[in-house]
Parts: sequence; structure tokens; C-alpha cells
Amino acid sequence: MLPTFTYVRPENLGQAIRELATPGARVHAGGTDLLGCLRDRVFSATRLVSIAGLAELRGVTESPDGGLRIGALTTLSELATHPLVLRRYQVLAEAALAAASPQLRNQGTIGGNLCQRPRCWYYRGDFPCARKGGDTCFAKEGENQLHAIFGGDVCVMVHPSDTAPALTALDATVRLVGARGSRTVPLNAFFVPPSKDYTRETVVDADELVVEVALPPAPSGGVSTYRKLRARGAWDFALTGAAVSLARRGKTVEHARIVLSGVAPMPWRSSAAEKELLGHELSDAVIERAAAAASTGATPLSGNGYKVALVRGAVAEALSGLRDAP
Amino acid sequence: MREPNIYASESLDAERESGVAPEVLDLPPWGKTTVVGAPVPRIDGHDRVGGTAVYVRDLALPGMLHCAIVRSPHAHATVRRIDTTAAAAMPGVHAIITTDSPEAKIPWVLTSQGALSQLLDPHCRYEGEEVAAVAAETPLQAADAARAVIVEYETLPTVVDYEAATLPEAPKLHPAGNQPSPSRTSQRGDVQAAFATADAVVEHTFHTPCEMHVPLEVHGSVAQWDSGQLEVWDSTQGVYAVRDSLALAFKLPLSSVRVASHYMGGGFGSKLELGKYTVIAAVLARRTGRAVKCVLTREEMMRCVGNRPANTITLKAGARKDGTLVALDATLLGAMGAYPTGATSSYLMLDLYTCPNVRVVERSVLINAGQARAFRAPGYPQAAWALEQVLDELATKLRLDPVALRLKNIPVVSQLRNGQPYTSTGLAECLRRGAEKFGWAEASKAAASAGHVKRGVGLAAGMWGSPGAPSATAIIKLYADGSVNINSGAADIGTGTKTVFAQVAAEELSVKVERVRVEYADTATTQYAPSSGGSQTILVNTPAVRAAAADVKAQLLALAADELKKDVATLSVKDGSIVIAGEDRMVPFSSLRSLAQRQQLVGVGRRAPHPPGKVALPFAAHFAEVEVNTRTGAVRVIRYVAAQDSGRVMNALTFENQVLGGVTMGIGFGLTEQRVLDRQTGKLANGSWHDYKIPTAMDFPTDFQCVAVDLQDQECNSVGAKGLGEPATIPAAAAIANAVCDAIGRRIYDAPITPASIVNALSRAGGR
Repeated sequence: MLPTFTYVRPENLGQAIRELATPGARVHAGGTDLLGCLRDRVFSATRLVSIAGLAELRGVTESPDGGLRIGALTTLSELATHPLVLRRYQVLAEAALAAASPQLRNQGTIGGNLCQRPRCWYYRGDFPCARKGGDTCFAKEGENQLHAIFGGDVCVMVHPSDTAPALTALDATVRLVGARGSRTVPLNAFFVPPSKDYTRETVVDADELVVEVALPPAPSGGVSTYRKLRARGAWDFALTGAAVSLARRGKTVEHARIVLSGVAPMPWRSSAAEKELLGHELSDAVIERAAAAASTGATPLSGNGYKVALVRGAVAEALSGLRDAP
Repeated sequence: MREPNIYASESLDAERESGVAPEVLDLPPWGKTTVVGAPVPRIDGHDRVGGTAVYVRDLALPGMLHCAIVRSPHAHATVRRIDTTAAAAMPGVHAIITTDSPEAKIPWVLTSQGALSQLLDPHCRYEGEEVAAVAAETPLQAADAARAVIVEYETLPTVVDYEAATLPEAPKLHPAGNQPSPSRTSQRGDVQAAFATADAVVEHTFHTPCEMHVPLEVHGSVAQWDSGQLEVWDSTQGVYAVRDSLALAFKLPLSSVRVASHYMGGGFGSKLELGKYTVIAAVLARRTGRAVKCVLTREEMMRCVGNRPANTITLKAGARKDGTLVALDATLLGAMGAYPTGATSSYLMLDLYTCPNVRVVERSVLINAGQARAFRAPGYPQAAWALEQVLDELATKLRLDPVALRLKNIPVVSQLRNGQPYTSTGLAECLRRGAEKFGWAEASKAAASAGHVKRGVGLAAGMWGSPGAPSATAIIKLYADGSVNINSGAADIGTGTKTVFAQVAAEELSVKVERVRVEYADTATTQYAPSSGGSQTILVNTPAVRAAAADVKAQLLALAADELKKDVATLSVKDGSIVIAGEDRMVPFSSLRSLAQRQQLVGVGRRAPHPPGKVALPFAAHFAEVEVNTRTGAVRVIRYVAAQDSGRVMNALTFENQVLGGVTMGIGFGLTEQRVLDRQTGKLANGSWHDYKIPTAMDFPTDFQCVAVDLQDQECNSVGAKGLGEPATIPAAAAIANAVCDAIGRRIYDAPITPASIVNALSRAGGR
């Protein structure tokens, strides 16, 4: 049922990196999706390198600049309930809580959530789609009600992560460690659009590991929120979501990030919507303009035109929530 | 007389044969009960949640092999060649059968024109159809070997859109075409003439999706042969139905097939019949001389063991100013899947409301998908989706309250049965008491919400049209220590049947429920019971259990009268003892010497026939309040009242559980569930728990109330209970749809109502 693989559990990061350099190796962290993918033959592996025991990759600490460092193995449950995250980076706590189910959040890690493979039913199913090395994207002419309205190319999958848009809205960076050393990538350059390379979702190389996510200090007057629209009340990926991070002086918006989930092959930042907010108060009219702007440029497929309305709805709901927040 | 077609043979038999077994003890109604009706926790609850209950998947017989099935990855193809060389050489492999094996020819899908298919059919008509199977030492070896079987296919044109499948140019699944039976018309009165007399006429076309049963326990069997006898452990709703089909498949006498089904984790209709996996396990067991287990994966289950057929329903209804229905005209189209089966039901249109002029035309069509099966009220939720929405439209047009409109058309007789009266008709009472509990009068007049989150209320009614099978037998043994054993062939498919049986015996014999054990669902050791489906398990079997208990009680009292030298008329039972009228003392059963000598008393109980000239059927009315976010399309069911006339409540806990489960299923039908087949390949797109969305606890209203309407039916049977399983789900989705319409002022005709349907409906002109 599963491919034959060896399982190793390195004792430190260096060992883990060395193990990952073996051809056919894959990382095991929370393991919420890995075995399923192997069983369903979404991809294969000959060696599983479990980093689950690496304490150095766990936990949330305050950095000297007042930001936050989040170890890659920090679980979504930890993020959803961490006092500092809740106080300063509400959008991340909300996004972590909106993901999956309690069991999955207790096990799933932030690193894994950022690196998760697409949930497109053609990619997951028994269809030789382009992303799996085939020659077609079945969704384009097929059942595309859950697919991208922005940024589609050879592949029209939507990125499934809830935390990715939240972290993008927070201008987070990701630290990667590999055989060739360490590098830091801003989250807005972490995901690979299909137009560039439709066989990978992130810049993480096979022998690299996400070790940490860093958040800059929360701006003063900052507020943030994540609004997820879904087909059922729990354990569901976003039909559309809006991660919003704002900083206001008085009532005037001085800094804005609006990043959408569930509508593009990567977290989809809507600069047009952000622009509508800058220099304004969050009035009904401004919120409406921003919501409308968020959907500009959408190119729906045959079955997902409704997402245009949902984008507006998610942004409007998120912004109204921030306006009305105490 | 017409019945829901999936249960047609069973129901017709039921009514034809009423009059069997004249020797049956026809017990008087119970009146007030103490154990029956009480909130008795399930007698096997701890076993089920604690992991000690043995399901088929848990069963391990000595030397047992495991089976994996090779299935067509194509929705329509023929097998050109199968090569098992590599698979046969793999470790642990004991046997492989393919479309080339002699056993492959076992006939499948039996019709009056002969078998339409065979056990392993080289013409694969849907993704997942069986072409080969492997038996190996371990499940993983079997799965690996199955994967190593090389099958060359020639793919054929595919049709999965059932409306397209009716067109002449559609790819054909069978030589006779995609419509194996002509359209069927049911008619009374003069529909055309009646519409001319109507003050309001409404007509709409509705679509309902294909739903999957997805019971918690997957389908599976263990088979072994013992001196020419076939023994099968199956997860099934009907051990006798499976036995009969197995006997036919293997040309064995009924006495040489034993089928047992102990703990079961749900079926919802998908486990009423013999599965290919069972026959495959039996074939491989015969080949290898070992027990063989075949348990399906979730992926196999989602493709191959049935579904609720998608329907397209066009319904035209006319009523007079006062709400009196004058005509209903409906056409129904159902998607059967790759083989003929029932796919529509006209029952509700023909019998839920009094209406003198009705015409229903039903058509069913084949598509390249798994065959539909009975699914909790086969055809009814689809029909209710259309009928109950159209009635609301009529009420709107006539400016009548939708409850009042329905109350105007309550039948007291079954129009489908030549005006046979019901033993009790709780429809009006369900509407009245449900409306009262819900606060309908105030809620339905509430002003439209100002913001973007709109509230709305809606209701729908329903009934279930099958009175259940006529015969069932139970045996009860009273042991010397006063404990009791019930023996019945009925399956407890998760509804709490066993517990209710124990309560019935405890009530009749006045013993504690904990002193009662239930032996069940084994064709070799328990008594005949019809399949647990069609909402009949309780109403068919508990009268037999009660009769058996009464038989034991009569014997016990006779013994006691002899031993205590009392007139039997002065004796009765209480708390496990004999009570003598006018005396204080109580004589425990266990202290009766004569009982100790005999060691046991055996009582046999049979169900009395259905009441002659009358019919007993259950009714329901559901009320929902929803919140619709017009920005996001989100629909939340925030409040729900389900009023059920199912006669006597046998167990307050299992009753509420059934209704809660039925409403949850209705929420799935109305809001979240639909099978998606890829239109290009015919393959299942959403074959995972992520993508096939059954509702979660978060989708269920926090404010939920179940109203039991018990009209104390003295005639339906000796326990006074009518069916509950199906009527608890029939109106649910329609009630939600009506509430959504009330909230946003737009009607949504297609289920499920998703965020997409809401925002699409709101972009249409008009509305609030």
C-alpha cells in the first residue's frame, strides 16, 4: 500500500540536513498529511527523515527587536492559543484556529502548514495532472468550483494554507537551512507561482528545511484578523479567506496588508484593496471600495465565478470586524 | 397501489400478506409503560465506545487470508487482457481470480430479462467496478499484489451527466440503451382541467445531488467454508437477505448458508443487499480452503456500494384561494448509475396531501457511475425538496401562512390505497405542535433583518410510505435465575434496536433491563427478521418480542399458580417476582422450584398481521431558523424543531438520537453534500473526507428540539410504535431551503445550498 521506505529520526538539525540530501528523502514533521499522500501515491519516498524530535525547532520566543520567532515544529494549536500571538498577531492565531480540526491542529506544525501540498482533487486523486508530471490541468475544463480565480496558469489549484496568508499579511520571513547553509526568505517570495514552476509550491529545496518563521514587531496601532469562508463549519479548506493587518494612527489607516486565501495558487496579496484603505478611516464606503478592489483582475473559470463575490465578502467582513473591534 | 420503488416488493408483500399466522397472539395495547419509553442508555454502549465490540473488521479467524480487489480506474472500459504473473509470485499471495476465472461468471444484477452483469465483468461501466481479486496472508500483501495485477483496458466513451445520458447520442451502457424501463405514469383525476380551476399555480424545476451514504463502518465480510456450508460474517442490515442472495449465487440450499452480522456501524440503506466483496471473499475462501476477509477501503466505498441518486424534478402545483390543493403535476428523472435500480419516488406527491388530481411521470437513466441504492428514505428527501418548496411558493402567492396551507390539505386516508384510513394521522398534530414549540406565529412575522446577515424561518412536512414487513419471529427464554434471553434475527445497525428489544421484554416480564441479553442477526441461530431498513425494525420486531415475552409470562404464571396453589388470575409479575393479589409477599422468579427444575421457559412470539383495512404510517413536520450572510453566502441553521409522529416513543434517548441523526443528514443533503464526478473522465473528483462534506457538529444547530407526537395509536400494532428512521430525515433539507428563501427572498432550486448558490441567487434581480 505504501512505498517501501526507511525511517530515520535524526538527533540534531545538522544530521537532519545530511539525511535530507539522500535522494528520495522526505521530511516528516507533524505527519498529518505525509502518510496519506504516500498511500494515495500523490508522491513517493524512499526515506522519511523525521524531525519531530528536534526540540530546537519548537516553540515561540520573543526576539530582541520585539518581534516573534516561531519554531517550524510549533503546532497550530500552540499558535492559536499563544498569549503573545493572540495579543499582537491576532490574524495568525485566528488563521491557525480556522485550520483543520482540533486533532490535526494538535499535531500539524506551522512549517508543515506552509509547505503542504495542494488539495486540488485532481492532484490528490487518480488523475495524471500537470503538477504530478502529466500534461494537463484537469480543472480547467473540469470540476473547478474550488479552484483559482487569480494567478492560475498551467495549474489552477488554490494554495490550501490558512496560516500562509496570515503570515504574509504580517510581513513574516522564513528561515531555511540546507546543505549549502542558511537563508531567509520573505513570505511573499516563499511561494512559487505556477507560471514560474508548476511542479513546486515553495522555494524550499529538497535538501532544505524550514526551521523558523520570524515576525517583525507588531506596528503600533496595529490590528489584524482572518476571515475564512468555508463550505462547512469545521475541517474544511477556505473557499475564500481574507487575512488583514492594519496599522492606524487615530482612525486613519497608515499601513495595510490584505492577503487572500483559497483563490490563487499562493497567498494572494491585494494591493489594490490595500490602496483603497491607506489614508482613510474604515467607513462603510471605504470598506466597500476596498472589498470591490480586492476582486479586480479576477479571471474565474466555468464553475467558480461565485468566488468573486466571496472575495468581496471576506474582505468586507474582515474590515468591518476590525472597524467594530474595541 | 404504488410503493417507493426500491422497497416495492417488500412493501407490496407486506400489504398482500396481511392475514398470516392466525395463531398469533394479538396482545391488547400496552397503555402506560414504565421501562418502554424511558431514557434507557444503550445496553451495548460501553462496548461500542470502549472498543470491545467486535465489528467485521476486527474479526480474526485462524489462518484467515485477506483480500484486495482490483478495480477499473476507468468509468467505462472493456478489459482486453489481465496478466497476474507478477502478482501471483509476490510474497503471501494464495489465490487470484480475474474476469477469466470460472467464478467470474456468477450472475450479477438479476432482472426479469436475465443477469445484466457478472461477478467480475470485463465490461466495466463505472470507475471502481471489480475486475480481479487477490487473497494473501496480510492486508498489505493483498493490496500490493492487487496493484501488481496488470490489466489492459480499452476505454469507451463515458456519460456521467444524467440529463445528457437520456439523449439519443449519449454513450450507451447496455445494448438496450440508457433507459431500460419506459417512463412510468401514476395518475388520478384530471390534472389539466383542475389547473384551470386553481387560483394560483406554481411551477419549478429542482435538482438534487447524488449523496454518498458514508456510514462510519466500511463495508466488509469474512467468509469461510465448513463441510460444504458457507459461513459469512458481514456488516449488513439484513442477514437473511444476504443469505438468500448467497444461496442463489453459490447454488446452495438456504440451510447451507450462515450469515451473521453483529456490531454494525451504520448502513443507511447501503448494506441492504449482498455485496460483490462478500461473494469474492467466499470464492477465494473456497479456492484456498481458508477463511478470507474482504474489507473495503473508504475510497472503494465511495465509488462502489451505492448512493442517493441525483434527481431532476419539475413540479407544477395549483391551489384555490383558501389553500385547497387542486392539482399536482410532476416529472421526475433519476440517475440510477450503471445498473437499473430505483432512482425516484412519487410517493409524497401522491399521498402526503389530499389532492384529487395528481399526475407523476417517473424516468430513470443509466450513467457511468456506481449503482444507486436505497438511502434513508429512498427518493423521499428529493421529492420533499421539490414538493415542500412548491407548497411554500403557493402559500406566498395566495398570501397564506405555509402552516395553514398544509393544514388545509391533511389526509385522513391513504389516497394511494383506495382511501384506506390511517390508524393514526399525526401530520396535522406535527404541524401544530411543531409550530407551537418553534414559535412559528411570531417567528414567521418577524421583520426582515436590516443588516447583511438575514434571518429566515421555514418548515416542511413529510411522511414515510412503507408500513413494514408483515412477519417476524422472536424467541425469549427465561432462565432459572430470572434472567432473560431474547433471540431475534434483526440487525442493530446503530439505532439502538437491541436496547429497545431488551426494554420491551423487561416491560412485559417486569425484569430489569440489565438482566436481559439479546442474541441477534445470525441466520443459523436466531429467528427470521426482515432487514433493518425502511424504518421497520422496531415496529416489525418488537411486537414479536412482546408476544414472546407474553408467552413466557403466561407459562411462568401457570407454573407459579401450580406451585403456589393459587388461581392464575390472581397472579401477576412485578420486579422479577410473582405478585399475588391481596397478599404482601412477592415470590422472586428465581425462588420458583418448578422453574429451577425446568431450567428455562421458552416463549415464541410472532408479529400479528397489519390491521386489516387500515394502514399505519409515520408523519413529520420540521421547522428551521437560519441565518444567511449575504456577503459570504454562509448559511447557518441556528434553531430547529423536529416534530415526529412515530407513535409510541420506545426509548427517549434513541428516539431523540434518531431524529438528531436524521436532521444532520438533512443538513448534509440541504447544505453540504454532493458527489462530484469529473465530467471529462467520469471519475470521482471528491472521493475523500475533505472534499465530500458531511456536516460536522459545528454545522448542527445549538438550539435543537425534538417533539414526539404520540397519538396513542391503539391499532398499528401491539406496541403502538410506527417507523422513525426515514421520516426523521425526509423534510429536513426542504425546511432549511424554505428558511433560506424566507431569509434572502430568493428561492434556490438546487441542492445543496452552498455559499456559491447564495451569492449566485443574490446576483439575480429582485429579492430583499
